[in-house]
Amino acid sequence: MSLALDSDPAELQRLADAIEEFAEREGWSPDLAFKINLVLEEMVMNVITHGNVDGLAEIQVKVTSSEDSVALQLVDNGVAFDPLTDAPEPEIAGSVQERHIGGLGIHLVRTMMDHISYERAEGRNLLTMTTKKA
Amino acid sequence: MELTSENANGAVIVKAVGRVDGANARDFHEGLESSIGADGKSMVLDFAGLSYISSAGLRVVLLVAKSLQQRNAKLAVCSLTESIREVFEISGFDKIVPVYANSSEAVSGLEI
Repeated sequence: MSLALDSDPAELQRLADAIEEFAEREGWSPDLAFKINLVLEEMVMNVITHGNVDGLAEIQVKVTSSEDSVALQLVDNGVAFDPLTDAPEPEIAGSVQERHIGGLGIHLVRTMMDHISYERAEGRNLLTMTTKKA
Repeated sequence: MELTSENANGAVIVKAVGRVDGANARDFHEGLESSIGADGKSMVLDFAGLSYISSAGLRVVLLVAKSLQQRNAKLAVCSLTESIREVFEISGFDKIVPVYANSSEAVSGLEI
């Protein structure tokens, strides 16, 4: 499945619809479809909110499903951002008062994916992630 | 995403149906804030009909929990699907917002 998205939150519905259709075709569990949708949304939203200086960033999403794993690839022309090193570790402990807003998206992605690699080349961020199906 | 609210034993139960993502998290926030109302009742978020929530929605849950706490009221959630429960656990939200199996257990758990 391949999809090109504008840097606009309104695109998330199109992303969700495409994943749902792909998940159905591939016979994914609802849990896997949820996880892939979440991981892609978090990374796409990250480009929209942080990587998008002039509102012109484009994000290309590619999803490949094999027998036992799913591979995700995101390419965007936004600001250089390596989620492995540039994102702070969120606090996931603390009371309602102590907890701060935000930082959770990348934490969810890091937890849900088995492998993440990042590369910056020719003015583009290239993010590759894989997760086992089970 | 649709929100409906009803009163039960001094608390307000808000049922969220559909998806909460980065595109509609603001609507979700506004809807929940308006359900709190002036009297600052405690709130139960019933997620039985919620199929999807991302960090944008979790952020709203935390904001509402903070907002209620400032009014000496509480927030509880109930009826999480397996996927949403996992998101709550990874985020550590299950440690700050009590999670119940259903809305009646949540209302009695709030001890209003």
